[in-house]
Amino acid sequence: MAMIKAEKTPERSAPISESSVIGWLHKHLFSSAFNTLLTFVMLYIIYLTVSGVFSWGVLDATFVADNRRECYDNSLTGACWAGVIHWTNNIFYGRYPREEIWRINFGGLLLVLWMAPLWMSRVKGKVLVATTTVVFYPFLASYLFSGGDKGFFMQIMVAGAMTAFALNMANLLAGLFRSQGLNSFLIKALGQENASDKTQRNILLLLAGIVFGVAFFWQMGQTLQPIVWTKWGGLFLTLVISGVGIASALPGGIILALGRRSKLVIVRVLSIGFIEVFRSVPLITVLFMATTMFPLFMPEGFVLNKLVQVIIAVVLFNACYMAETVRAGLQAIPKGQYEGAHTIGLGYWRTMRLVIMPQALKYMIPNIVGSFIGLLKDTTLVSIIGLFDILGMLRSISKDTPWLGLHKEPLIFGAILFFIMCASMSKYSRHLEVKLSAGRTH
Amino acid sequence: MDAWWDDVFAAYALNIDDLWRRTICTAPSFPAGDHIRRKHRQRETNVTNEAKATKRGAPKEKFNFFQDQRVRSVLYQLLTAGIIGWMVWYLASNTAHNLSARGMNTGFGFWNVSAGFDTDFKLIDYTPGIGTYGRIFAIGVLNTLLVSFLAIIVSTILGFFIGVMRLSSNWLVAKVALAYVEIFRNVPLLIQIIFWYMGVFSVLPVVRNSLDLSFGSGWMTLNNRGLYISTPLPGDLFWLTPAALVLAIIGAVLFRRHARKVQNETGRQINTLLPSLAAIILLPLAVFLATGTPLAWDMPKLSGFNFVGGTSLPPAFLALLISLSIYHAAHITEAVRAGILSVSKGQSEAALSIGLSPGRVMSMVVIPQAMPAIVPPLISNWMNVVKNSSLAIAIGYADIVSLFMQTALNQAGYAVEMVGMTMGFYMVVSLTISFFLNIYNKRVQLVER
Repeated sequence: MAMIKAEKTPERSAPISESSVIGWLHKHLFSSAFNTLLTFVMLYIIYLTVSGVFSWGVLDATFVADNRRECYDNSLTGACWAGVIHWTNNIFYGRYPREEIWRINFGGLLLVLWMAPLWMSRVKGKVLVATTTVVFYPFLASYLFSGGDKGFFMQIMVAGAMTAFALNMANLLAGLFRSQGLNSFLIKALGQENASDKTQRNILLLLAGIVFGVAFFWQMGQTLQPIVWTKWGGLFLTLVISGVGIASALPGGIILALGRRSKLVIVRVLSIGFIEVFRSVPLITVLFMATTMFPLFMPEGFVLNKLVQVIIAVVLFNACYMAETVRAGLQAIPKGQYEGAHTIGLGYWRTMRLVIMPQALKYMIPNIVGSFIGLLKDTTLVSIIGLFDILGMLRSISKDTPWLGLHKEPLIFGAILFFIMCASMSKYSRHLEVKLSAGRTH
Repeated sequence: MDAWWDDVFAAYALNIDDLWRRTICTAPSFPAGDHIRRKHRQRETNVTNEAKATKRGAPKEKFNFFQDQRVRSVLYQLLTAGIIGWMVWYLASNTAHNLSARGMNTGFGFWNVSAGFDTDFKLIDYTPGIGTYGRIFAIGVLNTLLVSFLAIIVSTILGFFIGVMRLSSNWLVAKVALAYVEIFRNVPLLIQIIFWYMGVFSVLPVVRNSLDLSFGSGWMTLNNRGLYISTPLPGDLFWLTPAALVLAIIGAVLFRRHARKVQNETGRQINTLLPSLAAIILLPLAVFLATGTPLAWDMPKLSGFNFVGGTSLPPAFLALLISLSIYHAAHITEAVRAGILSVSKGQSEAALSIGLSPGRVMSMVVIPQAMPAIVPPLISNWMNVVKNSSLAIAIGYADIVSLFMQTALNQAGYAVEMVGMTMGFYMVVSLTISFFLNIYNKRVQLVER
């Protein structure tokens, strides 16, 4: 005899211990006597920290004052943020002339706009966008930041950068509204879809040439006031050093990593030696080497300024770390890819350029972001050898007469700034890692 | 008969070789092809003279000099070596020229010259004006090693502790650990060092109002000139106490082995922890009391404006030690967490199901398997501790960089040699550490098999 239920049993809701807030609390905070004790100890510690920091940093703090004495008059136990607020411009821009600060902001805005298409799925031609960023943007930015007379080469590069930027923006719009590349959009708009490839290419080149010509003649009449690099400083200088550092360390790192995996003995030994030497010494010794020994290395009478010395040191140092990142990426590529490329008759460089690097670089992006975070934090070391980067500026607040001895507040402000930058970037790189590894089949 | 075979073989080899060259080998690099070709070349050289004679009749292979794999590889290498050699020669000749033009000293003559400056923290005897630059180098090396060694110990313990907290089932504990990691990892170490130095140790009370950290006994005091700890002064028979301690530890180890053996043979478990602890504590204590407490303390005493006696640690040392420990503990935490998570959940579930207590699951199943994943990043963190201790220069702790590479270099001016020696020291340290890491990795790999 079998018993069969005619109706379906109604679904029961999850037990209260699993679904309710109380259930969650019980499971995660009060599951045992020991856990309960731990929870209360932690709550107490959090209470002490948060209330202490809050009353020091917000409740008792002074935000408006002209000097440190006034801060003390206002409250003895609170922070004196007035000093930091007074120095905000210096912290961000150093001693850059105040009326020229728009140039730094404009340069930053350009970079953001330039790179924005890389994050938009509808926009075509991302590789080209990234390449133009690396090739042209540095020249435009360096002219924007330092100003002065343009040599002929600089004029070409600046005009080229403006052309590239204009085309990039047009491509962005074409991508956003028509979801097609600028080239196909223009060809269609001009009604030349049926023309031969060669004609189409010539039309596009002609258009680009016209834009270039206009940009070239426009920029001839424009000259920016020269600003020497000693006026650069603050967060701006930190970002310049680390930005140039990471952008140049990447190609250097790729070359070193390929050298390290090369079959040619001399190349391999030299690469390994170079990488291991720089990886085993601290950055500060490399910076000291740059400032004390580079002048000796150069032919007599040839003087590099300190900023260039520092940037060379940072690039050399980071290229070696980047080489290890790249090597890890190369090792993750399965052997079949190399063999497949060889089978269709590709040589070494074409195998690397067309098959291996595109795949490896994609998986390296999270680690590259990680290196950039490390570099950004390491860049604070340049304050030790006398550049006024953000830390140099934060430390000089305490030497300014009205704010004499104000150490804690500027350092904490700097720490918060770095925390926001680094934590958001590392969060983003973790997100990327998850996204990229999800699409991975092997 | 043999000759006939060789003949056929040689012709075959030649054809294959030719085929390679004409079709695919035009690409500059072809590892697989290279491999096969080399094999065939070997066979080719093995053929007898008669076979070589017949080979003359075969169509002559075209030999394009620049398309040959081996020629290319030699050329590339010569080119690289040439460029690097030229660069080194160019830099070296410029340096030699500049050094002589500026009248700067070269060579290692400074090693035995006496240095005229003093340092506030040294582990070996040194008198300014008498002590040599060689001694300065030794002081710097020892100071760097001391602070790194202590920071490594503290950060590893702290890192393991917080790493376990990070995986706690208690939500609040895990989040507090996460906050610790995120905050201290994302703020530059240099800012942390300067903060501890300027914001904490420089604003401590003055010497007269020193903080007593040992509940009024004066054994350990803290003020804005540093930490003052009393130094033990061993008496006559004091050596017996450490000897007793060593003996007790040996006894504990032997007892533990015995217990393990008994458990293996009979399954009976012997509690080793309590007896061992008792022996390790009680035996030295008994010896110490029996020999008449032969230990005096050199207490730091306030005399005039400063403390005299005891051991003093300058604020720069403390700031560096604390910030290095905290910063690297945050990194080690992540290594520990990743290592523990790398052990599959089934391992701990299986261990629990055979009735092991959670503590034993951790110590006998999870941790031993996690160690191979934890140790390499752990050691690379230790290496970073040594390297980052060079940031001492920002707060004036007399480590090798600030003492030797900065002060001594400014005084004596042997730029190339001094920078080279400092970098050489760091290279030796990291090579030593990676040597031991390699040994460990080999051992772990063997255990796996």
